[in-house]
Amino acid sequence: MLLRLENIEKWVGKEYILKKVSLKIERGDFVAIVGPSGSGKSSLLYIMGLLDKPTSGNIYYHNKVIDFSNKDWICKFRNETIGFVFQFHYLIPELNVLENVMAPQIKRGFSIKEAEDRSILLLERLGLKGKERRQIFEISGGEMQRVAIARALANDPEILLCDEPTGNLDSKNTHMVMEIFREINQRGTTIIMVTHDLNLAKGTKRIIEMLDGEIKTSFYLERVD
Amino acid sequence: MKAVLFISFALLKKRKKQTMVTLLGVAISVSAFVVMSSIMFGFQKYFIQQVIDIEAHITIRPKEELAEDRLIRKFDNRSLIKVYGNRPKEKDRILGWKEIIRRLEQNPHILAVAPHLESKGVLKYGAKEKPVSIIGIEPSLEVRASVIERFLENKNLKALDTNRDSVIIGKVVARDLGLQEIYRKVVLSLPNGEIKMVKVVDFLNSGITNIDATRVYMPLKTLQALLGKVEEVNVLIVKIKDVNQAEAVAKALKKEIRYEVESWQRAYVNFLKLFKVQNLITYIIVLVIITVSAFGIFNIIMMTVMEKRKEIAILMAMGFTSKDITLIFLFTGLVTSILGGILGFLIAFGLLEYLSAIELDIEGLLRSKGFILDRSYTYYLLGFFLTLFFSLLASFYPAYRASKLDPVEIFKSL
Repeated sequence: MLLRLENIEKWVGKEYILKKVSLKIERGDFVAIVGPSGSGKSSLLYIMGLLDKPTSGNIYYHNKVIDFSNKDWICKFRNETIGFVFQFHYLIPELNVLENVMAPQIKRGFSIKEAEDRSILLLERLGLKGKERRQIFEISGGEMQRVAIARALANDPEILLCDEPTGNLDSKNTHMVMEIFREINQRGTTIIMVTHDLNLAKGTKRIIEMLDGEIKTSFYLERVD
Repeated sequence: MKAVLFISFALLKKRKKQTMVTLLGVAISVSAFVVMSSIMFGFQKYFIQQVIDIEAHITIRPKEELAEDRLIRKFDNRSLIKVYGNRPKEKDRILGWKEIIRRLEQNPHILAVAPHLESKGVLKYGAKEKPVSIIGIEPSLEVRASVIERFLENKNLKALDTNRDSVIIGKVVARDLGLQEIYRKVVLSLPNGEIKMVKVVDFLNSGITNIDATRVYMPLKTLQALLGKVEEVNVLIVKIKDVNQAEAVAKALKKEIRYEVESWQRAYVNFLKLFKVQNLITYIIVLVIITVSAFGIFNIIMMTVMEKRKEIAILMAMGFTSKDITLIFLFTGLVTSILGGILGFLIAFGLLEYLSAIELDIEGLLRSKGFILDRSYTYYLLGFFLTLFFSLLASFYPAYRASKLDPVEIFKSL
């Protein structure tokens, strides 16, 4: 088992965001977390990505409980194991396309040359060949999101956490991104995607429905191709 | 660390305008520090050096008698009239000065001692008159105890030996009297009414206006004869091995000699105090400049941190630690300070070159033909490290703030 959440609660003041959430994610899962706004989808995603600390409960990665007090270890783990894709690309405008993808790899300890070679291959895989040296403002919205995906995949993460990754894209780019996710997932990367779009959720393997900070339903989809 | 440098350099490279503004601020601070220190200390060091060279390291003179002690009559407070009068000074000479010199020259700290007979007088050339301070010297002893010869325009000190009726006069005295060349005769009047025609054999040009505008040297024996003080001297000048030890040596001599012993530091205490105040004012001004530049750095880095909140959040999501984030912004501050410092060096060097080339007739405490600059590299280093310290201090808070940003809060707010 890749990830297990055990009685996760998140409170902000006297208001709860997540209530006793328990969840298991298997390696190779492609999960869509759906639910209305304020249902706690993104909060759950941030906790799974170790960006946020639960008020109570435990998180297990590879059956090992996460110790939130060891901040340096958390950062290292996030760098090596988790990739994030957000609704907005959040690319660093001071870096070009290639450099944005190189950044997490350099943080991991790859040499500049290694990071550059790996990034070029990754960008090629995501259909961005020839655009490596472009500045961020020189590429389209769909391309920006693909660069953000490339950055998230730069360190070959075991799990990709996506928060409304297509929320800012047109249907053509949405379709393209979903195709990329499916391909990545087929290669073995676990994907957890927060979305409010049920049609997108139907393209995944499993749907978790949330309401008022609790998991309402969780089921696997059977693909009929 | 590689990742920190990677991001820092990208921020510096792509945010050229902000980088340049910060860099210029630092450069101006460093150059202001170097140029102001150079001018201030150049002037002060030159003054002190000239004073040490031309004046005695230590002066021995009869003790000042308080005017109260020399009152002829005193009346009590109920009297209607008070009549004051000074008795003539009894102790205005150094008794047994030859023996004192002989004894002092055995002191391991002392290089040489020379006798002086000092008096006031008036010098007259044509219709012009000038009050002067006359010093009777023994040239052969004087050259050992001071470097007066260095300041003589014609290096003609020995003329005082060969011609008993000769004088060396200060350059400003000569100028004020309208005397442009040597070997002219001037009339010297002394307080006892003696008048003597003497020949000017050289000009003293120390650069210190106070000295050049009053000083007259003449043979000791001639002055003694004119004043009727045969074999009398009233000052001994002492040259010591280490000028900085003058105060300590003077204190030690005080115990041996019953006369007033004064180091050059004590003799020029007012000037030295003035210099301290001057330095304080200079450093306050420079500190204000450095602080303003540091605030510039603070503002720009703080603005960058505020503008880059989402990029900081994504860096944290990528696995950058709080320490990495702090270092990214500290490093941008450090690089800007170093580059600004180097630019400041160049500006300061150029400015000092320019200032040293300017020809100006400056006449105040010192006379000079331009700025007297101290081009020591220590000002560059001091200015650089001082600015670096302030810049890092200014970068620290924004960098710390950046590291404390909560990525979740940022992502949720966007």
